[in-house]
Amino acid sequence: VKAALAIAAATAFAGSAAADPCTGVSSAGRFALCFDPGNRLSITAGSDGFGATLALRHEIHFDDEPDLVWRLEHTLLDATHAGIENRFSGSLYRAHFIRHARDGHIVIPVGRPKKVFLPFDIGAFAEVGRVTWSDDSAARLGIVNVAGLVDLARAHSFRGRLAIGPSARWAVDLEQMRALGDHHVSAFTTGMISLHGESSNGRLVGDLRTEGGMVWHTGRGWEAEVTGEATLERIMLAINDRPIALSLGVRYASETDEAMARVGARIVLAQRRDPRVSLQ
Amino acid sequence: MSRPSRAALAAIGIGVSASSAVADEFPIMDHSRPVHCMKDTRGDMWRIQCDHAAKVCLYAASEELDSTGERAKPLERVRDCDPMPIARAKLEEDGYQFLPGRADAPWGWTRDERGRVFQINFDLKRRLYFGVGYTPQKVLDNLDDPFQNKRSSLDFGMLVLDFMTGEDTKNPTRHRLRFLEGEVHVEPFSAQLVVAHYDLSHRFIDPLLRITTFVGTPQRHDLTLDLGLWSEAGGLEIHPTPIGHSSIWKHAQAAITLDLWQSPRMDSFIRVRSGMGLEGQHTDGTGYRSAITETSAFEVDWVVDDEGFHNVRFEVVHELPRYFVPLIGGQKLAQRMRARLQYEAIVLAINDQPLTFKLAAGGEKRDDIFGVPDRWAFVMDAGLRFSLWAPPRPPSGPIRAAL
Repeated sequence: VKAALAIAAATAFAGSAAADPCTGVSSAGRFALCFDPGNRLSITAGSDGFGATLALRHEIHFDDEPDLVWRLEHTLLDATHAGIENRFSGSLYRAHFIRHARDGHIVIPVGRPKKVFLPFDIGAFAEVGRVTWSDDSAARLGIVNVAGLVDLARAHSFRGRLAIGPSARWAVDLEQMRALGDHHVSAFTTGMISLHGESSNGRLVGDLRTEGGMVWHTGRGWEAEVTGEATLERIMLAINDRPIALSLGVRYASETDEAMARVGARIVLAQRRDPRVSLQ
Repeated sequence: MSRPSRAALAAIGIGVSASSAVADEFPIMDHSRPVHCMKDTRGDMWRIQCDHAAKVCLYAASEELDSTGERAKPLERVRDCDPMPIARAKLEEDGYQFLPGRADAPWGWTRDERGRVFQINFDLKRRLYFGVGYTPQKVLDNLDDPFQNKRSSLDFGMLVLDFMTGEDTKNPTRHRLRFLEGEVHVEPFSAQLVVAHYDLSHRFIDPLLRITTFVGTPQRHDLTLDLGLWSEAGGLEIHPTPIGHSSIWKHAQAAITLDLWQSPRMDSFIRVRSGMGLEGQHTDGTGYRSAITETSAFEVDWVVDDEGFHNVRFEVVHELPRYFVPLIGGQKLAQRMRARLQYEAIVLAINDQPLTFKLAAGGEKRDDIFGVPDRWAFVMDAGLRFSLWAPPRPPSGPIRAAL
């Protein structure tokens, strides 16, 4: 039982006799030092309530073009409920798709097609079915939110993203069953910045996503708006090699002039083991 | 021909002079025919493909060239090549001519003279897309000021996926899936959305009916009915009314299709369909009422060119919703008609992901929304769409067999 419940304090790994950078060794056995934050089922508990999320990410490679890789990051059923308060935010599906190639280019198909080179990767952000409600505001359904992105980081892995691009979204206030309220539309009149960084061992992860520009509302017309959300997670310990992370976050929306900071913990229930970890 | 490329090709060490090159054009090697490899006197590898009927051999560096003409990195998307079985000198003795060319590229791709590969064939029926457009005002949606002319629109398709089953049989089936496809207009607001769409076309090789006529020489006339299915779930239309908005929730629709014409791969078709649907309309001020809707449509979907650059869609739809609760005017039966013609063309590709120009025109006439006049209203859209994925269109049968 002791062995099964061996707790690997991630911050204390330096003192262990590590077999390799991602596998720690102690008298009780081997334990993971590296984690894959993009493939996990986790629950959260914090100052903003309780939640759960399923994250998946994978790459698509091509045998005949080794320099090209599609990196797909999916987040499904990401939801948080405040618990004692009537406040909820959730998203049915959210994804980043990045096409990483050693040579970015534009093809101009006039006459014999021409190829003009560009110093960035391209991709997209997509979010479907975002729902929010609280006592202070009507429920809002984000039907779709998309952005075309250029990734200036051109990282060789999931660990880095510095992407910007025009974004569009359509959301609607829900007043009662089948009765829709105000619509909120950005027809690529907003821009998005999407940053992601994680340490090579996956124990420190940071994200920033912000959108700003002109949004049209059925009731109020065009308005300038900014929304932003930043999170920072640091794995503090692991139980049975399933990490528990300290999570810090801040969110701001100019439409409601609401800024919210949160602190909490993320507990990973199931995960894909980092392939660099060798527990055998 | 650029200076670096000429220099690079002139530097070929296998003894072929650049002066023999065709000055302005580098033919590309045939991807369906064998390519051989040969090292030059400096040890650099070259790809060679010979046409023994014409006694012409094309040669190209086996690596991409940089802007100075130096070899930079291995070619992408090339096949392995076998060593050259016949010496160059022997071929030249036999009258073969060596010409500079471009290395072979797979179906749907090509190379420039530096060997850099890029996609030139796109399947817009397999993609994720989103776009922005400009939509001059439609009278139907702007009753107060029909000349208002300031609205923009966005459209999106989270997944467009066509695929074939039984492709190598005489009875293939084409499946078409769409998830979360729609468009939104602002000022004033209107929108339409379909959460899930699935339809299929099938090719029947055996005729449903064969009629033999015995007037004069007996003759056989086959009547083949290429029947298919069409379905949608989770549709939503939102239109402005004088007192707010009207939302039409198209819960589910199903129809039988009859293809009047199919292209060999069935990615282009002309068809009619007819079916039923269950929907509900919620209009501000009048509440919610459900209806069963009879739908008929004529559709054309045509990929004009083999490369997929030009795409045309046309549809005429007639819908008859029968409401369980009478409308404001007292009638239970309403009528909707709409027609739409859309042309979409690829303008350029960014990292092999196409940017398309969309031009559409349509009209609509309906009497199911309170306050909306029962007359034809016309609209035009022009915009750009960015698509992700859009791989090359699969080759047709004979080409696929050759590849």
